Amino acid sequence: MPLIEATGLTKHYGPVKALDGLDLAVEPGIIGLVGANGAGKSTLIKILLGLLTPTSGTATVLGMDTVRETRAIRHVVGYMPEHDCLPPDVSATDFVTHMARISGLPRAAARERTAEVLRHVGLYEERYRQIGGYSTGMKQRVKLAQALVHDPKLLLLDEPTNGLDPAGRDEMLDLIKRTGTDFGITLVVASHLLGEIEQVCSYLLAIDAGHLLQSAPISNFTRRTPVLAVEVEDGADRLVDALTAKGARARRDEARVLVAIDSDVLYDTVRDAVADLGVPLVRIRQERGRLEDLFRDAAPSDVSPAAGSVQ
Amino acid sequence: MTTLPTPTPTPTPTPAASLGATASVTPTAPIAPTAPAIELRRVARWYGNVVAVNDVSFALGVGVTGLLGPNGAGKTTLLHMLAGFLAPSAGEVLVLGRRPHRDPSVYRQIGLVPEREAVYPFLTGLDYVKFNARLQGLRDPEGAARAAVARVGLVDAMDRAIGTYSKGMRQRVKVAGALVHDPQVLLLDEPFNGMDPRQRIGMMELLAELATSGRTILFSSHILEEVEQVGTEILVLVAGRLAASGDFRAIRALMTDRPHNVTIRSSDDRRLAVALMADPAIFAVELTESGLAIQTSQLTAFRRLIAGVSRTAGVRLLEVVPADESLESVFEYLVRR
Repeated sequence: MPLIEATGLTKHYGPVKALDGLDLAVEPGIIGLVGANGAGKSTLIKILLGLLTPTSGTATVLGMDTVRETRAIRHVVGYMPEHDCLPPDVSATDFVTHMARISGLPRAAARERTAEVLRHVGLYEERYRQIGGYSTGMKQRVKLAQALVHDPKLLLLDEPTNGLDPAGRDEMLDLIKRTGTDFGITLVVASHLLGEIEQVCSYLLAIDAGHLLQSAPISNFTRRTPVLAVEVEDGADRLVDALTAKGARARRDEARVLVAIDSDVLYDTVRDAVADLGVPLVRIRQERGRLEDLFRDAAPSDVSPAAGSVQ
Repeated sequence: MTTLPTPTPTPTPTPAASLGATASVTPTAPIAPTAPAIELRRVARWYGNVVAVNDVSFALGVGVTGLLGPNGAGKTTLLHMLAGFLAPSAGEVLVLGRRPHRDPSVYRQIGLVPEREAVYPFLTGLDYVKFNARLQGLRDPEGAARAAVARVGLVDAMDRAIGTYSKGMRQRVKVAGALVHDPQVLLLDEPFNGMDPRQRIGMMELLAELATSGRTILFSSHILEEVEQVGTEILVLVAGRLAASGDFRAIRALMTDRPHNVTIRSSDDRRLAVALMADPAIFAVELTESGLAIQTSQLTAFRRLIAGVSRTAGVRLLEVVPADESLESVFEYLVRR
């Protein structure tokens, strides 16, 4: 049974169609949800949480209908909203305990679970201080903790790294990954940062204008292409000439030299050409597709086919 | 944090070398070609006892520069001093050779995209931009506003109220407002925030294009892979101090106390490891699950010998990747000292 399933899911706000007959089936894992602004990501999340009623079509979470079984769904779903929504004048401990109580945990269990999840997200002594004095990174952790406190099977994270600096982002991404593996739960991560999704997610859902655009494992988008990218400190032109003279198909792409890999011997051809010229070798790497290519309208060139087209 | 062992900041006026030839779009009010567009001389700014910016000096010419630093490092304070909102507590801030604080004639040459969403929700996109055009005293506010809106790709939505815009659209309308008077210097605080992937790509291209047409652009961002795509010039602030400035690759090269790490995959890692270890340029070789991890203090020497050594050893080179030359690694080295 798929964890999340939608059939012909449609939501209209007056004349605006936020979702337009969306069909999807999501298997467990860490799932990246991407889409242009206005593509319907937030609407989808709200329907899955049972906060919005679809205009037509159905959605289920763990087999439960999002309209008829809203309360049951809330027991198994955690949600980390994007916007700043924390009360400034209570401590993290009090706030998360309160959220646990709202979810129906008895007082003692709520306290224990709170201590546990706050430790998991990396809040220690600070948890007794008022949230108002927290940094952005600490607030994000509290938001994650309250989403986890009732031990959900599915976690929906809306832009979890928004506003974080590079170190904070790395920590949050690591935390998301650990949450997925340690707790063995499914996470849906909505983000605009494709690099981030490539780093933590195993599966990609892309929606565009209320439709499903792509639904596939991340590895489908980032698979290797039959192109070797070679970077040398200087003498890229000489390298192209030398490779061409040896019968390889090579061309210059800004600072790099792109060579078509037609057989394994090509690696030796490249190595020998570089050694003969005596130019400093910076990098040799097989080109990979990138998620970003999904959003670029670049025309595929002869030696470097666009990743999406390699099926 | 006390003094940072600064890896020799390179405060040379940076030419837009990384962006190639300058295009022929006419910038307004030409400036003396040698004067840097932005210059800070021993600038400090404090709020009571809080020191936001501490003894910072640098100069920027034409081109794009990324302003980086952890939260609270002083990036926004720095941008606000350049925009004329704040006077420095000490030192001198110069934009096009003049002090911007309380000098409206300098404002004519500055465009600022603030981080906060300082837009009126009831105005249409076009009206907002036109409002900025009139504020700048432009002769043809309507024409200038329409051109700026077109530049950021908002023509379809320009007659809608800003309140109905998505975050990415609001961000772009702010950029249009900052561009409407065709300023020489553009300051952007987290311009990519809230934009979706396609809008991000569009914004990066716009910044690159403005730089090639002779503008000076300083933008702050936390997304290092994006900064890397826009340009290689960076300014790094850490706890109010300038930790480094210039081309990040040059900054990396100056970190002589950090050995360079390179990872290699080959047809026979063990044999290659033995061959490499024989060379004095290499002082550590580790066999890992994914290949070989090499440490060298002489990167160029290593780069010259790697192809030859593997040929002599009869090993096929499948992958050679510098492991700590990216902006991400350079930033981490600068911040975690």
